[in-house]
Amino acid sequence: MPVNRQPRSFLDTRVLSRLAGMPFLARQPMQGSVSGRHASPHRGSSVEFAEYRKYVPGDDLRRLDWRAYGRSDRFYVKEFEADTNLRCCFVVDTSGSMDFGSGDVTKLQYAQRLVGVLGYMATQQGDAVGLSCVAAGVVQSLPPKRGPAHLRTMFDLLELAEPKGETELVTVLHELAETIRQRALIIVLSDLFVEPALLKECFQHLRFRKHDVSVFHLLDPQEIGFEFKRPTRFLDMEGGTAIFAEPNDIADRYHKAIQVYLEDLRQVVLESAIDFHQVRLDEDYEQVLSRFLVGRTRGKG
Amino acid sequence: MTFLQPILLAALPLIALPVIIHLINQRRYQSVRWGAMMFLLAANRMSRGYARLRQILILIFRTLAIAGLIFAVSRPLASGWLGLTAGGQADTTIILLDRSPSMLEQGAGTGVSKLEAGREQLASTLETLGSDRWVLVETTSENAIEIDSPDSLRKLPSTAPVGTSSDVPAMLEQARDYIKSNKTGRTEVWICSDIRENDWNAESGRWQTIRDSILELPQAVRFHLLAYPSEAKSNTSIRVTSVRRFETVDNAELLVSLKITRNASTEDSVTLPVQFEIEGARSELTVNVEGPTLELIDHRIPIERSNDRGWGKVSIPADSNSADNDFYFVFDRPQKRHTLIVSNDPQTAIPLQLAASISPDQATECSAETLTEQQLATVDWEAVSLVMWHAPLPGEESAKPLNDYINRGGQVVFLPPREPGSAAFRDVRWNSWSDQQPAIRVEFWRGDQGILANSQSGNALPVGELEVRRFCELSGEVTPLARLRNNQILFAHLPTTHGGVYFCTTTPNLQDSSLTTNGVVLYVFIQRAIEAGAAILGQTRQLAAGAGASDQPINWKQISGPEDALSTDYAHQSGIYSSEEKLLAVNRDQAEDESRVLPEEKIAGLFKGLSFNRVDDQAGSFEGLIQEVWRIFLVAMLIALMVEAILCMPRRVPKVEDTGFPRRQSDEDAGPTVDRATTTQATSTTI
Repeated sequence: MPVNRQPRSFLDTRVLSRLAGMPFLARQPMQGSVSGRHASPHRGSSVEFAEYRKYVPGDDLRRLDWRAYGRSDRFYVKEFEADTNLRCCFVVDTSGSMDFGSGDVTKLQYAQRLVGVLGYMATQQGDAVGLSCVAAGVVQSLPPKRGPAHLRTMFDLLELAEPKGETELVTVLHELAETIRQRALIIVLSDLFVEPALLKECFQHLRFRKHDVSVFHLLDPQEIGFEFKRPTRFLDMEGGTAIFAEPNDIADRYHKAIQVYLEDLRQVVLESAIDFHQVRLDEDYEQVLSRFLVGRTRGKG
Repeated sequence: MTFLQPILLAALPLIALPVIIHLINQRRYQSVRWGAMMFLLAANRMSRGYARLRQILILIFRTLAIAGLIFAVSRPLASGWLGLTAGGQADTTIILLDRSPSMLEQGAGTGVSKLEAGREQLASTLETLGSDRWVLVETTSENAIEIDSPDSLRKLPSTAPVGTSSDVPAMLEQARDYIKSNKTGRTEVWICSDIRENDWNAESGRWQTIRDSILELPQAVRFHLLAYPSEAKSNTSIRVTSVRRFETVDNAELLVSLKITRNASTEDSVTLPVQFEIEGARSELTVNVEGPTLELIDHRIPIERSNDRGWGKVSIPADSNSADNDFYFVFDRPQKRHTLIVSNDPQTAIPLQLAASISPDQATECSAETLTEQQLATVDWEAVSLVMWHAPLPGEESAKPLNDYINRGGQVVFLPPREPGSAAFRDVRWNSWSDQQPAIRVEFWRGDQGILANSQSGNALPVGELEVRRFCELSGEVTPLARLRNNQILFAHLPTTHGGVYFCTTTPNLQDSSLTTNGVVLYVFIQRAIEAGAAILGQTRQLAAGAGASDQPINWKQISGPEDALSTDYAHQSGIYSSEEKLLAVNRDQAEDESRVLPEEKIAGLFKGLSFNRVDDQAGSFEGLIQEVWRIFLVAMLIALMVEAILCMPRRVPKVEDTGFPRRQSDEDAGPTVDRATTTQATSTTI
């Protein structure tokens, strides 16, 4: 079977090797199809004790706790946690604004690196991964499946993702909340240039559908600092009207606007109970992922 | 606001530079592909009030900074003299300095005289303004002199105070002549004076001539008056009105009459010690002055009988004007007063001879002599105190000794002859006789001054009682002293620099007038003229400062007076001097004691039509007339730059923590640790 040996631009094996020892866990029970590393809402036969339950006719006699019967003369069934795999869906914003990057990488490239590492880790532990590239709508979609071959397909899709078009993230997230059938881990990677109030509805919708939602909010340092010296004509990367501005004149108000936006967003995050990570593009993505993975481990503990 | 370098103000349009650069900068924009448009749109929707105001303020302060720099290098002057030097530095600056005694008046509590203050102000002001050429015209100068710099005003002896009154019109004429003859270019004339009436002679016809001639000058001439019009609140002056040597049976006395004038705002009486110094021997008399003036008549001072001739001085304590606290006098044995009557008409000559030969007091011997014009060659003019000319006006030959006599200070009274003739004396001539039936009386005469002035007791002469039956009309530039009811002149005075020339248009002949029957007017008229003429007799002279300047004062020897006076200035400095056998007392002019100041509108009228401005200063005030204030503009520029810098300072960008974003890796204190040693599982490089 021919294998494409061309290295992926968004994958760094050293990062993968360093992060390989860390578990990639869901924050809530998942309904998987096979046994895995994640808790299941159903009782199973793992080694982790869950609870005692009174015997009812029809129960498997093999699961009767004979020692408990000997001590109490009553029939109890001993139940154990079930471990299963998860369905991990990556939602990558590929709108025009994701093409911005004042440093070495654009937001989309940064998102590709995150998805690449997380997708690899999930596949390695037997989870199913899927990808949705969204802009004005769902541009590309790959349903979650297990296996390295599927991961390769996903990486191919990810590599071909092009940043263009407007953002309709709210619509898309609502749509995904409805279309992803079983509970899954949904990881959104976007600059979230959407009204926080609208985002709140999306997140609540996803939570309502029992999905574990994680969000990587990607912003470029230039977008935060707005450090321009000369009068500038700002061309909308999503095809909107250009704006001419004197940076000295508008910087104060820009900072104020972004401050208000971030405050609102923080409130939305608190109220939606999602796993939210704000990321500057000048941060090392390995550290971002470490923080993300450690946080999820603590959540499970 | 005026500037020393107004040409640099042409750079003022440069203040638009910040705005122009701002506009250019607006056009040199960059294009950036931008993702976070929602924040830009939100920022655009926000109020731009402060940002716009800040932008405008920045532009304003940049503009102000440039304007401040331009103004600073243009060397602005702070001064009340608007338009002082508009147009820049003058080519020639002429300084007219009033050195008259009244300029020695000191400011209240300062000890600085007006002259000192004026010199200092002029020196500092003109040093600041600058000029290519400096010219000084002062009270005693006959010609304008060039000086090196305004600083010379502080050092030159010719700027020191003198006893001579100023003749401002004459000084202006000197300045005008200098401008005419030296092609001075743009000229500034600075006048420093206390604008006293006697110095300015505002009624003189010369002012019109000066104005007209200056207006005709091709170059621009600007006049600046630095005036010191304020009068001291309390000043006392002393003046000797007469000195007579009087011999008693076994001794001799000086009878000194003096007048003390007080310029005080209150009527309180004041006790004043008056010090007399006769030939170095001092005595003191305390007088009580009530009211503005005190006249002391014939104060007796005993002297040696052998002391025929000598000098003296009266002094009062120092006050606000030191120039009028001393008065010098000389005395001599009374000289025989001889009157010369030139007449062919005995009926007229006899009353004249009688009036001239009767002495007013016992100590004075008077005589009169009648002769014809042809006999004048034998006359000893040195012994004549008055000439009464009742003959046709002198021809050229006769006029010469008469003019010499007048120029020495002699007095001449002309009376109309039977046949007036066509001859003229100094452009004045007799016309025709006019009969008046009935006799006509006098309508007006000058009782305040002159030869018909009121008596010392203040009583008027009975001029109004005169009856004139015949008079001879007069033509020429004369000053009327008395007019008849038909407005014809009865007595007139011909202005002269020396001596006195009078015209009487009628005669004492009974057919002509009642001058003989009403003898008082004739007698007083003649005796006053004789007294004035007697001043040139003998070996003593009482001179007003400046009057002896035409002699050779450099040959004078100072006996008493200011020690620092230059010999060339003796004629202008109060004091006692000896010249050959003569003893001279020089004092300030009588008009100096009358401290009347010309009103402002009068001064403005004198310079009407000319470029003129005036500032009033006070003695003792050394606050500069003008000051260079470029430092203020420089400071203003620096302040504007600082404010601009503060406004341009970038606003504090919210910290990373404030935005909720994690710090960058380099700032991370201790991030989540990954045990890299445990990453044992090798990962495939390609998937």
